[in-house]
Amino acid sequence: MSYGRFLLKRGLQGIVVVWGVVSIVFVLRFITPGNAVDAVAPLDASPELRERIAAELGLDQPLYVQYLDYLWELLQGDMGYSYISGIEASSMVFSKLPATIELAVASSIIAIGLSIPLGVISATRRHEPADYAATTFSLVGISTPNFWLGIMLILLLSVQFGIFPTSGRAFGFVEAFRIAANQGVGAGADAFYQWLRFITLPAVTLGTYFTALITRLTRSGMLEELGQSYVRATRAKGLPESLIRYKHALRNTLIPVITVLGLQLGTLIGGAVITESVFSWPGLGTTLINAINTRDWPILQATLVVIGTGFVIVNLVVDAVYAYLDPQVVAE
Amino acid sequence: MISPRTLRNLRKELRSSALAKIGIVLVLAMILIAAFAPFIALHNPTNQNLDENNLPPMGFSRTTEETTSEMVNGSLELTNETVYVNATASHPMGTNSLGQDVYSRAVYGARTSMMVGVLGTLLAAVLGVSVGLVAGFYRGRVDDALMRFADVSLAFPSLVLAIALIGLWGRAAVDVPDPFVVFGLVDPVRSALGLPTGMPDSFVLPGTVIVVVGLVNWVWFARIARGEALSIREEEYVKAARALGASDARIIGRHVLPNATTPILVLATIQVAAIILLESSLSFLGFSGTTLSWGFDISQGRAYLSTAWWIATVPGLAIVLAVIGVNLVGDWLRDALDPGIEGEGGV
Repeated sequence: MSYGRFLLKRGLQGIVVVWGVVSIVFVLRFITPGNAVDAVAPLDASPELRERIAAELGLDQPLYVQYLDYLWELLQGDMGYSYISGIEASSMVFSKLPATIELAVASSIIAIGLSIPLGVISATRRHEPADYAATTFSLVGISTPNFWLGIMLILLLSVQFGIFPTSGRAFGFVEAFRIAANQGVGAGADAFYQWLRFITLPAVTLGTYFTALITRLTRSGMLEELGQSYVRATRAKGLPESLIRYKHALRNTLIPVITVLGLQLGTLIGGAVITESVFSWPGLGTTLINAINTRDWPILQATLVVIGTGFVIVNLVVDAVYAYLDPQVVAE
Repeated sequence: MISPRTLRNLRKELRSSALAKIGIVLVLAMILIAAFAPFIALHNPTNQNLDENNLPPMGFSRTTEETTSEMVNGSLELTNETVYVNATASHPMGTNSLGQDVYSRAVYGARTSMMVGVLGTLLAAVLGVSVGLVAGFYRGRVDDALMRFADVSLAFPSLVLAIALIGLWGRAAVDVPDPFVVFGLVDPVRSALGLPTGMPDSFVLPGTVIVVVGLVNWVWFARIARGEALSIREEEYVKAARALGASDARIIGRHVLPNATTPILVLATIQVAAIILLESSLSFLGFSGTTLSWGFDISQGRAYLSTAWWIATVPGLAIVLAVIGVNLVGDWLRDALDPGIEGEGGV
């Protein structure tokens, strides 16, 4: 199979999964006690008013018509209107998306930037203090609930020492750019500084689990690769140790690391939900929890569809990178 | 199921690994604390005492501003005074904003975590292993359909799906009588030890949470079981059983499942850790049927970070120790049994 055909096949599978995602969200509504009319209608609504509301929401139609309507509207990007605020669900969710993406990307950068060097050091200096420090860190890191870590960071760095703000988000990365463009370098630098101050604690909170996880994987992968016969062969050939470690062993280690990262994407998104809640970060997670607490079905539906679809898309990208690094995957 | 060779490997690994020993000690301690909570707690974890709220833990003190007003020469004078609040021996880890004992709540929280962790994992394992074995054994259409379904449910992060399900279904909980209290064993022992009596006679089992964490984590078991079934079905002994006329159900139950136990066991351990973390996240966000939970206490302590840091700190440390213990046991099983599992189920 060529790389192009592989991507095409994966893309089609991805579309099937997205269809499954939106269908499950649709089903979720019908296995839920309480109906939409109750959520919208005033408590003293007359039966006629309730019927009118049901008709307006399309609830008087047969189920399959409702399902097809729902799919058709989704295809047009229409996810209904909030029961509470009347705002269009799609515009609300997409306005919250950048904050969540920013947080996820920032914590991934922290995680990847720290963990791979840490894992390599740990593996190449096995049973030295650096190794013990790294393994202890990674064990504690994968065992710490991130919401508690976030609270402890707030306690220490915000409440005690006042270095970082306790919660919230001043503005987005893009807005900071806009400020730099419109108001000059000084204002821009200040804007980026503010942006950084607000995102640091949430990003560290969300990133710690992944830093710990990837450190563990990199360490065990490196240890395994360094014991392989090809490593002994390259050593015998007289290649410098750094070349053996970074060009050969690390490269082969990264392939399984990427697989696990793909599997763990859900954890990243789930972690973002709770991190957002700890830091009042105005992203999808906060939106999701508010929607559930207020039983705002259209918003909940839109959030779930966007999260599920986003997961599928990022997984596709991971698969594409993976297949590019390891041509065997394409052949299978 | 567990062969003598497996046992030998487990023992050998345990002897050489200090971390495995620490893990077993932590997990055993957790189990004992959860089981014997009514004897180990110092106070009834739900008893409130507003006169003794936000007491600091031993070795710490807390200052508070107290304002007194006084009429001096016909005008009201306010004086601010700094008052020190000291720890008391009966609340070694302090009290929370309602005056409940932080230590006793952490002890009882172990029950919730262990129950949800074990029962949730069991449910996920039963569901996932059944689906996975059937998919892997029959292959073809059944396999395709089940695995696509697994892909779809993986597209929702466990926490997101769990929040959605619990938020929509409600937070049903079951009151389980505490056997020690019901049989009257607790009060005599406690009074003999000089501890206050009157422990809760039941504890709340968050039923919806258990069902939901099982439902959102079955996929990991399905994937592992399927992979095992795919390879085991090609083994000679399966072919032999089939030639002898054994039914599919018998082959799956007697041959495929027993040979797939090792990786399932290792995964189950990792999942207990993941589910303890998931439960704490859910109760932190308020999506749990019980208030005796580490996550819930952390959420309560959040409002008092600047005055009473211990309320959120103690239950968090309990979670970390519990999960470290389970993870170390998981590492021990993995290293000793080497089932070739990559990755770990996360929250």
